[in-house]
Amino acid sequence: MTEPLVKITDLSLWYEKYRALDCINTEFDSGKCIVICGPSGSGKSSLLRCVNRLEDFQEGDVFFDGQSLRECSDIAALRSNIGMVFQHFELYPHMSVLDNITLAPRWAKKKPKEAAETHAMALLDRVGIANQAKKYPAELSGGQQQRAAIARALALEPKLMLFDEPTSALDPEMIVEVLRVMRDLAQDGMTMLVVTHEMAFAREVSDEIIFMDEGRIVERKATPDFFTNPHSRRAQDFLDRILMKI
Amino acid sequence: MDWAVIPANLPFLMKGLWVSFQLAIFVIVISFPLACVIAVGRVSSRWWIRFPSATFVNAMRSNPLILIVFWFFFLVPLIIGRPVGDFASVMIAFVVFFSAYFTEIIRSGIQSVDRNQIQAGLSTGLTYFQVMRMVVLPQAMRNMMPALVTECIIIFQGTTIAYVVGLREFLNSTFLVTERTIRPVELYLFAALVYFVVCFAGSCLARYLEKKKVRTQ
Amino acid sequence: MEINYDFDWSMLLEDPNRQWIIEGLLTTVYLSLLAWLIALTVGIVIGAIRMTPSRTLRIIGTVYVEFFRNIPFLVQLFIWFFVFPLLLPHDWMLTWNRLPHVPFLTALIGLSLFTAARVAEHIRSGISSIPKGQFDAARSSGLTQIQMYRHVIIPYAFRVMIPTIASEFLTIFKNSALTLTVGVAEITSAAKSIEAWSFRGVEAYTVASVTYMTTTASVVLFMTWLEHRLRIPGLIAKK
Repeated sequence: MTEPLVKITDLSLWYEKYRALDCINTEFDSGKCIVICGPSGSGKSSLLRCVNRLEDFQEGDVFFDGQSLRECSDIAALRSNIGMVFQHFELYPHMSVLDNITLAPRWAKKKPKEAAETHAMALLDRVGIANQAKKYPAELSGGQQQRAAIARALALEPKLMLFDEPTSALDPEMIVEVLRVMRDLAQDGMTMLVVTHEMAFAREVSDEIIFMDEGRIVERKATPDFFTNPHSRRAQDFLDRILMKI
Repeated sequence: MDWAVIPANLPFLMKGLWVSFQLAIFVIVISFPLACVIAVGRVSSRWWIRFPSATFVNAMRSNPLILIVFWFFFLVPLIIGRPVGDFASVMIAFVVFFSAYFTEIIRSGIQSVDRNQIQAGLSTGLTYFQVMRMVVLPQAMRNMMPALVTECIIIFQGTTIAYVVGLREFLNSTFLVTERTIRPVELYLFAALVYFVVCFAGSCLARYLEKKKVRTQ
Repeated sequence: MEINYDFDWSMLLEDPNRQWIIEGLLTTVYLSLLAWLIALTVGIVIGAIRMTPSRTLRIIGTVYVEFFRNIPFLVQLFIWFFVFPLLLPHDWMLTWNRLPHVPFLTALIGLSLFTAARVAEHIRSGISSIPKGQFDAARSSGLTQIQMYRHVIIPYAFRVMIPTIASEFLTIFKNSALTLTVGVAEITSAAKSIEAWSFRGVEAYTVASVTYMTTTASVVLFMTWLEHRLRIPGLIAKK
């Protein structure tokens, strides 16, 4: 049995008095695509943001590749091995798409400009928007922007990709193009943690599903199992509501 | 240093401070309604109303207050045909000058309210006038409150300019006492402290209103 | 109502009026430009200080801003002119008094430090107008704090702040008129002198007003052009 890529032990997170995460213990293996779902306010995004310490958790620890995040002295270097994709894309509006992608490789990973750009172009090609490289983010459609943001995260050559509701801000016809890119990525063996409400995507692509509620992991199951046989009452209700749309 | 100079002259200084307050309050009370009228003209769809109001606002805002004071000092007696006294000239200059600044605040307050709010109000069967009074204006008021309070502080600070025409407000009173006692260090630092306390309290109020505004949006 | 006033514009071209006007214009421009440059420099430093993790530095920055913003500029000017030299050590004071153009220097210090507080405040609100997600995106990609500010936050904030930086120049330009109270012979002061000598207020004040209004108009035009040049393609400017 190899070491898991991410290991979370007794993790708790407070916002002031509000407890967002309540003593989380779990781990994620390399090469798996894991979907985190649950009602809003259940702590899904918080959990995701703890994995690269965008949230400063108060208790417990997260280990990435064996390295403790709490004790990590160079968090920037650690983060440069984890890609992250945001709900609102968060492309830098004052830079071209290409510059958006090469920024971190050049400055955080000290890659030469030429190499960074060649790699960026290959990634843009992979997400299908190589012809948009010189444009500015605001000139792109939402779907194109999110694909550019995925390329930007991939440019770090990450060992892990975090997706924080990547399709929630998109129009329905654009969701498909983003999900397709994510599916291809999963099939190539990328380790992915995905917070999403797209249950069709979860069912088709993910290996496991984590269901969260009130800051706790209520249920974690292999994907087919989760859909056919959800254990907890809350997960059942959630599934009913989200699948039946009632 | 000899701080005794301050209690010794306190009644005189406080009289000056009272004049500053009166001046500021008078200017605010007169120029705000005036600005409301000009602001409505500023957003009017008729160019012959919009254009003169815009010209007035821009002319005032691109000149220093002190120059406006000089202008009115010279022009008011000339237009009226007889001397009217320093106090009246300065008041008129202040009112005209600051009404331009109020106008801009009110205008952006009105424009900060989402146009759909009017549609929403009308769709529920309210009249245009009712929508304005009960939907748009309360929101506009809340949005511009912080800026209005800040502007009031600026007006209070601006009253110091009445010094140049010899009006006996707080700064001029301080100046007169320094002339007599030759204690500029104590007196000016005291004046700075008094202005600071008043204006800082105002800034805190503006900041509180700003927070409240952000929270309700 | 009848206005009895004979216009005589040619008197503006006669000496000493012409001399006063030229000197006044130059003084206003020099003073404003110099003060603006110093105010930007100091303002950026204070603005940066207010964003450091050090609590002490942040408090110093805040105290600076609150003090300079909540004391009327004229009072500050008087303090620099009447009080500041008296607080210097004795031989420094003598040196200061022997300097040429003391009123100008006083005005320069006063204007710069007053405006620096406003610049610092604009910088803070410029930075806080940047969506939080931009910080998250930069940090999550492994950029250090300094790299994040240098490549993402500052270039972004700079564009947001262009209008306010320009308007601060205009603030200085207009506030410089107040320095006549400490004896700086700028353009408003020149107009006042002409009026006092010849009682030709309309002509004299028109010169000053035209100066301020044309400068304002040119700066506004220039900034509109600059904003357009630096505009981020596709991004609609938030009003």
